[in-house]
Amino acid sequence: MPADTITSTSTNIAVPPVRSVLSEPGWVRFLLIAGALLFLALFLLLPLVAVFAEALRHGFDAYWAALTEPDAVAAIELTLIVAVISVPANLLFGVAASWCVAKFDFRGKNLLITLIDLPFSVSPVISGLIYVLLFGLNGLFGAYLRDMGIQIIFAVPGLVLATIFVTFPFVARELIPLMQEQGSDEEEAALVLGASGWQTFWRVTIPNIKWGLLYGVLLCNARAMGEFGAVSVVSGHIRGETNTMPLHVEILYNEYNFVAAFAVASLLAMLALVTLVVKTALEWRFGEELAATRH
Amino acid sequence: MAIQVSGITKRFNDFTALDSVDLEVRSGELLALLGPSGSGKTTLLRIMAGLESPDAGGLLLNGEEALGLKPRDRQVGFVFQHYALFRHMTVFDNVAFGLKVRPRGQRPSSAEIRRRVTELLDLVQLSPFAGRYPAQLSGGQRQRVALARALAIEPKVLLLDEPFGALDAKVRKELRRWLRKLHEDIHVTSVFVTHDQEEALELADRVVVMNQGRIEQIGSPAEVYDHPASAFVYEFLGQVNRLDCTVEGGIAHIGDGALAIATDGGVQGRAVAYVRPHDLGVTPAVGGPARISGIHVVGPDARIDIDLAGLALEAEMDRERLATLGIVAGDRCAVHIDRARVFAR
Repeated sequence: MPADTITSTSTNIAVPPVRSVLSEPGWVRFLLIAGALLFLALFLLLPLVAVFAEALRHGFDAYWAALTEPDAVAAIELTLIVAVISVPANLLFGVAASWCVAKFDFRGKNLLITLIDLPFSVSPVISGLIYVLLFGLNGLFGAYLRDMGIQIIFAVPGLVLATIFVTFPFVARELIPLMQEQGSDEEEAALVLGASGWQTFWRVTIPNIKWGLLYGVLLCNARAMGEFGAVSVVSGHIRGETNTMPLHVEILYNEYNFVAAFAVASLLAMLALVTLVVKTALEWRFGEELAATRH
Repeated sequence: MAIQVSGITKRFNDFTALDSVDLEVRSGELLALLGPSGSGKTTLLRIMAGLESPDAGGLLLNGEEALGLKPRDRQVGFVFQHYALFRHMTVFDNVAFGLKVRPRGQRPSSAEIRRRVTELLDLVQLSPFAGRYPAQLSGGQRQRVALARALAIEPKVLLLDEPFGALDAKVRKELRRWLRKLHEDIHVTSVFVTHDQEEALELADRVVVMNQGRIEQIGSPAEVYDHPASAFVYEFLGQVNRLDCTVEGGIAHIGDGALAIATDGGVQGRAVAYVRPHDLGVTPAVGGPARISGIHVVGPDARIDIDLAGLALEAEMDRERLATLGIVAGDRCAVHIDRARVFAR
């Protein structure tokens, strides 16, 4: 707007129009925007469309059949089970770790923050291997676990462990900066006003972090359902038993069963879309409150 | 006696925040803890509230041993420097919080809570804002919400940490008057922390001057200003000329004998004399020992910079007196000291 006023006044007094320092020439703007859109279309939109196009290539019946086939159903169920266990676990761990880091000072705090980031910096395959080395038949606890009749690797517990490890940072990463910025003044105020620790947590701490927490959980869930590398190492790829959706997609693809592979993949793509839509809807609906809690 | 602090010591690693502090706060008074940052005043306040625990010492609140009590059991109201309002709650809910979190048996009915909160919001003149969120209020309004919230639990003691620190000068002054009046109305024992001497002197019944974890002086505003107990208090409260001198036989010689003052204490040898600018008299004198190096008029007062044989002095007088004297920058003059305090160095 300032640019307009400046140009119009300056043309009146017959001097060359002055352009605001912040606006680029038209052709630069066009090139930049077009480049960004092209990139977006090529690398994000096109693959998404391709997934659905491939999945529906032989019509909706084939698509539906691929999704309701017993192995696919088992994979979907297993994915949900893993997410249902690992997301709440990481919700709990994440809140506890952020609380610890943000509200208290202690020796080794930086080490803890680094450790929380570890799963992001380590290749997921390594994360999976760690568990094989620990709990596999030839692993550290392998013999003991076999004697006790407990199976972790190539079974649901291994999948859950690997998923928890890989998705650990999502909630904590989202909350630590938020809680550090908020400080502990409000908690102190609540305590002086007579609230118990529990009341303070539920009535002051949680409401202040709920949006950050929700973001963290959404992202954590998306990754928990979509994780491939770590899960692939500990799963053993037993059809109908230890195959999660991403693993099932790979198997089907390797068997040249493209329609089925893309059908299952389309579910994962939809999960991503739903995550984005929910996130945007929340921002739109509660934007004001969100701004208020972040001051 | 509302609060009795005895021998409170608090260290943070190597830093001694409080060094064996003794203090008594009388019932119903408004007491200021005044000192520079790092003097331990906020730590002392937080210890009273139970937000910090001391390494040694004792604390009585209304005659009861309080150090073993949690903050929630001390019945103190605390107003934080940055208010610490619950940002996700409305003004009404902020004020109601202390009542709503009470255990079931002691919790007032919701109608009663509504009545009390409305009453408090009237008291702090914020009734029209009950439905707003803290982010939608001005600094002065937030401050008053914080005060109402602290008063809601009917505290026996009100503790305020730099209550006006985050406000601009004009609002600060208004709120100061208002708080003074509020204190006269409700008479709850109050302790407030400040680094602003003007605030402490104007507002408090008694002022506690703190420095490096110790109390330098306790007294009424007039006492601490007119009779500072230590060199620190002299320098911290108001403007002052700090003059190196040598004392011999009760006479302090300043600036190679250019000025001499009679001292009252038993100080001998190297010392420092403190002279308030308004206790420094100036008379025009042709060929006098001093020179007027500058005159600055600030509102109704005039500040006069004087150069006495290389020694920079500052005098203060009202503009009428300046006009009578008829001095201008560059004039020679004589200087005399009406009142000074000498401390050994």
